[in-house]
Amino acid sequence: MTRLLLLPALLLPLLFTQPAAAQGSLNMLCAPAADWCEAIANAFQRATGVRVAMARKSTGEILAQVRAEAANPRTDVWFGGSAEAHFTAAEQNLLQPYASPNMAQLHPWAQRVHAQSQGRCVGVSSGAIAIVYNTEVMARRHLAVPHSWAELLNPAFRGEIQLPNPNSSGTAYTIIAGLVQLWDEDRAFDYLKRLHANTNAYTRSGAAPVQAVARGETALSVSFNMETTSLAQQGFPIAMTYPSEGTSYEVACLSIMRGARNLAQARRFVDWYLTPAAMDLGLAANQYHVPAHPGARADPRIPDMRQIRLIDYDIAAYGDSQRRRHLLERWDREIGSQPR
Amino acid sequence: MSGADLRLEGIGKRYGQVAAVRPLDLVVPGGALVTLLGPSGCGKTTLLRLVAGLEQPDQGRILLGGRDVTTLSAGERDVSMVFQSYALFPHLTVLDNVGYGLVSRGVKRAEARRRAEATLETVGLAGYGARLPAELSGGQQQRVAVARALVLEPEVLLFDEPLSNLDTRLRRTMREEIRALQQRLGLTVLYVTHDQAEAMAVSDLVVVMHNAGIAQSGTPRQLYEQPDSVFVASFMGDANPVRAEVASVAGGQAQVRLGGLMLTLPARGCGPGQADLVIRPEAIRRVATGGLPARVRRASYMGSHAEYVLESDFGPLLAVVPGYAALHPAGSMVAFDIDTAGAVLMAQGKGEER
Amino acid sequence: MALTSPPTSSLANPLASPLASPLAFWLLAALGALLLPWHAQQDGLTLAGLAAPLAEDADADASAALGQALRHGRFWFWPVLLALLPALAGALPWLPRPSRARLLLAGGGLGLLAIAAQGLAIGVQGWNWPWLATLFGEMDDRQFGLGLGGTLATLGFLVLLTDALALRGLFRGDRFIAGSVGLLALLILVFTAWPIGRLLSEMLAPRDALGPWAALAERLLDRKLFSLACVTQPVGCGVVWNTLLLAACSATAATLLGLAFALIASRTALPGKRALRLLTVLPIITPPFVIGLGLILLFGRAGLVNQAADALFGWQLGRWIYGFDGVFLAQVFAFTPTAFLVLIGVVEGVSPAMEEASQVLRASRMRTFTAVSLPLMLPGIANAWLVGFIESLTDFGNPIVLGGSFGVLSTEIFFAVVGAQQEFGRAAVLAALMLVVALGAFAIQRRVVARRSYVSLTGKGDTGLPATLPPAVRRAAYAVALPWAGLTLVVYAMALAGAFVKVWGRDWTPTLDHFRRAFALEWAPDGGLLFTGGAWHSLGTTLLLAGIAAPITAALGMLAAWLITRQQFRGRTALEFALMLTFAVPGTVMGVAYILTFNVPPLELTGTAVVLVACFVFRNLPVGVRSGVAAMSQLDRSLDEAAVTLRASTFRALRTVVLPLLKPAIVTALVYAFVRAMTTVSAVIFLVSAEYEMATVFIINRVINGDYGLAIAYSAVLILLMLAAIGLIQLAVGRRHLGRRATPPAVGRA
Repeated sequence: MTRLLLLPALLLPLLFTQPAAAQGSLNMLCAPAADWCEAIANAFQRATGVRVAMARKSTGEILAQVRAEAANPRTDVWFGGSAEAHFTAAEQNLLQPYASPNMAQLHPWAQRVHAQSQGRCVGVSSGAIAIVYNTEVMARRHLAVPHSWAELLNPAFRGEIQLPNPNSSGTAYTIIAGLVQLWDEDRAFDYLKRLHANTNAYTRSGAAPVQAVARGETALSVSFNMETTSLAQQGFPIAMTYPSEGTSYEVACLSIMRGARNLAQARRFVDWYLTPAAMDLGLAANQYHVPAHPGARADPRIPDMRQIRLIDYDIAAYGDSQRRRHLLERWDREIGSQPR
Repeated sequence: MSGADLRLEGIGKRYGQVAAVRPLDLVVPGGALVTLLGPSGCGKTTLLRLVAGLEQPDQGRILLGGRDVTTLSAGERDVSMVFQSYALFPHLTVLDNVGYGLVSRGVKRAEARRRAEATLETVGLAGYGARLPAELSGGQQQRVAVARALVLEPEVLLFDEPLSNLDTRLRRTMREEIRALQQRLGLTVLYVTHDQAEAMAVSDLVVVMHNAGIAQSGTPRQLYEQPDSVFVASFMGDANPVRAEVASVAGGQAQVRLGGLMLTLPARGCGPGQADLVIRPEAIRRVATGGLPARVRRASYMGSHAEYVLESDFGPLLAVVPGYAALHPAGSMVAFDIDTAGAVLMAQGKGEER
Repeated sequence: MALTSPPTSSLANPLASPLASPLAFWLLAALGALLLPWHAQQDGLTLAGLAAPLAEDADADASAALGQALRHGRFWFWPVLLALLPALAGALPWLPRPSRARLLLAGGGLGLLAIAAQGLAIGVQGWNWPWLATLFGEMDDRQFGLGLGGTLATLGFLVLLTDALALRGLFRGDRFIAGSVGLLALLILVFTAWPIGRLLSEMLAPRDALGPWAALAERLLDRKLFSLACVTQPVGCGVVWNTLLLAACSATAATLLGLAFALIASRTALPGKRALRLLTVLPIITPPFVIGLGLILLFGRAGLVNQAADALFGWQLGRWIYGFDGVFLAQVFAFTPTAFLVLIGVVEGVSPAMEEASQVLRASRMRTFTAVSLPLMLPGIANAWLVGFIESLTDFGNPIVLGGSFGVLSTEIFFAVVGAQQEFGRAAVLAALMLVVALGAFAIQRRVVARRSYVSLTGKGDTGLPATLPPAVRRAAYAVALPWAGLTLVVYAMALAGAFVKVWGRDWTPTLDHFRRAFALEWAPDGGLLFTGGAWHSLGTTLLLAGIAAPITAALGMLAAWLITRQQFRGRTALEFALMLTFAVPGTVMGVAYILTFNVPPLELTGTAVVLVACFVFRNLPVGVRSGVAAMSQLDRSLDEAAVTLRASTFRALRTVVLPLLKPAIVTALVYAFVRAMTTVSAVIFLVSAEYEMATVFIINRVINGDYGLAIAYSAVLILLMLAAIGLIQLAVGRRHLGRRATPPAVGRA
């Protein structure tokens, strides 16, 4: 009995003893799919001997956490998640600038993010918004595949489209901000209002609609292309088209925390990741983001961004928190509160 | 071990608005057994717990052998207690129960066992050490509880209604054993009970408590024969309180008029006028001629004696008559007078003002 | 009889532990203030770090308070150091008792005040309050959170203070009791009252151009909270109404089902009804998403039921499972066992004698049931309902998995913090609303329980046979309960089967791949073992932290229960209420409160394991306290009094008499604390970090990404581990042995 109560006393020291790692350790928060995050952590650990402690969290959770830890950061690097979120963190002085020697070889869009953020984050991958559909459900319902934003308003799709809720999902915000930049604010909201009639749910998570399409829970969604490809590779009857009017895209970033305790390892990680070999890990983990390094292995499943009609998306302007709040409040007022 | 006086000076305890013990003084002389007697709720157990250190007094001092122990915790006082429920530790053997206090005090385990066994022998339980309390009879558990308290050789031993869980017969045996043990070892004992017969059988001194204070204290005989109040009289055995009139007082003797009788009783401070008269049941004697008239309301045959409830001019009276007298049936008329040895006069209302 | 001289005081007892003197705690405080590094060190506890303050040229932040005050001009440590002087005079045994009490009171009190004041006044950016800057001038310094030195000094001063109170005769003059009360009060203040107060204060955080009160009003009057539009239009109602409606519905359904099961278990002769009891254990050790996943795999649009309906009849059952209906269903599955556990006691507590009396008075079986049995059970039923209500209110796992676009308070709080708006103020308002509702339900529940005086537990089990149910009631109970029991089994089977097929609903190939991905092992080139499976890290952390938190929870719970039931002291009722309070604090609220409170000095705990352990301990403490109080009230109070009059110190009495008799309650508390630490998600989701990740958070991330196979595989492993742990705990604590009789007699009575 008494021995049992001593158990915590015996276990407590474990909390303070780090496993010996000659090369030090690295604390990483990681936003993309967990398999990929793990593959990255394991590969870096194998390549360098640095012990990696990694937690996979959604972008919103990571941002909340790094903000909470601002006074005393426990995180060293933040991998993945949209550039807007990294910019928000940069705005609040949570990130530390670093220019990796390997950066010069990257695609221009990856380097542009670095410049826009005053060196605080670097683009690692990119993906575009697509219209995603379940091939079986579409066939069974005899629905025509939509190829544009306009075609999504087809009354035949009533109750068959699932969208994320921008209050909680960064993906949803990217979609809406893209429409606002494609047309203008009023027209975009007018479009969303009409789309509302076909929408069956606004999910909390940005990844949920594409999952629902894959499992046939809904016929259509608006989601990222790389997520769609992953699910198609797993055998789900899922396919996508890019809206002919033009579509939004995101650049996923990698950044180092201001006050990181393992700064050397964090820099080593950034240098390591900006090489083709590291970027190829995504493919092995069934992830089809467009890598930031042109030298990374080409694959037919990775979309060629040049073939997609992209909106000239202003990450810096639409990452601004004032504008964000304005758009969200308008969405709440005009869309979120509509009857369904 | 004997000799330590227990002295309470102005000890009082309140629970919120309710006084559990009104400030009082009490002395338990070394080697004496003093009983706190009273109805439930009169504060006797609280007083005992104050002595044990299980409660803190609001005022006053507790002196043990001349040492002030008021602010000491229970474990720091040289006092042991036998609980009403015995409070034997159910998961420990009898021997471990008895040795518990010794080990607590730092005695080596082997030595503690030796002394515990010796004490068990004192209470007549040699050989029972390996059992668990649940495997003993009620009387045996009681002895273990006594042994457990005794083994510490405390300056004062406290008993909290130790016999209330036993049947009538065993209670009689056990109280004799406790008294014998106390006298043999010269223990200073404070003993709580609500049983008057038990109190009279074991005590050197009895303290009758009433309404959180001391009603009267004295030897059993003093209390029975010289009660200060109707309450004490009624609590120490059966009593018939009646109103009487003191006709005159001279030389400490009062002439008391009760109906047609004139009794001569010690005045005990009473002046002429109304007074309370307490008549013991055995002092009511049937007389063939004269005396006071009464009707028998109920008659009970009790073997060694007969009990009557009489309807008199002063209300119902309980009378006890040795059993070999002929039984008077209910409804018959009798005449009685009063044996002045069994009647006590007291000023009216005394002891009721509390 | 031989005389041994009585000990003059327990302070002089040679065998008493060295802790028996205030001096030991003075030394502790002095060690903390003079020698050890006062602040938390970046690289945790290391030997080099501990020795750092001894160096001549120690860095300010690595120094002890003495060094910081002497060498680095940090004058705010002088009061802390000065407090040691009177405390030393009081701790030494030479002065008379009243003087020692005064000195200790001054030293301990000043020490604690000084530590709290300097900790709160100086933060990350110097002075925390502007008026201090005007008073002392601007500060270009900062300070980190309390470290080992600060913690030890705080503890030392606390005990010196409580020692002073004990010396003055408070707490019956018992140092152990005084110290325990002081420690518990400090812990509750720091880990419950402060975080919740801190969170609530966030409601007033100014927003944009709005002042505090205008911001509060705007947040409170948000249409999204209280809109009643759904009554007239097909739109969603305010989240407050959603939550209340869901909680009321779930509680009602779970209570009715629980009652049906309880009646069947105690008053019918249904064969195999013992198996029902097994069903009640399952949900307790189930990670929170398993039921939701089972429901999706069964009733989702691609689930078995829908596919069958489509294939056989061409019916489209739609996606009703996402939203109110699905969350409701999942909650009923999850909470029915709890309702059963509450109600079985109630149903069995109705004395058969009363039912027999009713029958002897010529009442029919139906009338006996409706006029006697049911009214007697009513307070218990109300209690079960309220427990279900609070559970539903605080539930996070089910709404997040099945809610779709249907939001309740617990998920709204989550999204207010992590969502695109990232507004703590809104989270605080939501949390306050939730707290108000939960506390209201909690207060009502306590009153209901307090008044259920006529559940006739006589302690005599043999007062007659319970009346059998009237046939109509029995049939109704069977009709409700048996299909439900079947459905529960199916949902669990579904959920667990999902771990063994490739992709549920598409590819039914049996596989162990999900387990392999979670728990793979690899040999590193240098021969070491690499835990490459994704789940190893979080599993290890979860087991370690749950293993640390459970005994602490049980120990604090028993100590608190003992203080509440056995000791009389001022503020006892307040302490009891504060202890029970966290039961009504939803996990999401607790998590947000912790992250807000403990990410800045003086207690910088976020990202460490300490904050997770503290969260587990204080969230589960009420259950530990309750089981302790329940067990303690069956223990004769004179048992520990007897031990104390037998010269046992209060601590020894607790250890040798009370604890061995409380073993069943200790097992309950340990198991509950361990299991809850393993399965809780709502509180920890904000508190996990890269270093300390919890299993449930790992699982929910997989669920959100649709990786159900891995999530379920991990859950299955967790369930097995918890079963093993429960067995181990029972083995380690052991049984209490009270005699050779089959049923132990009423403890302590003849």
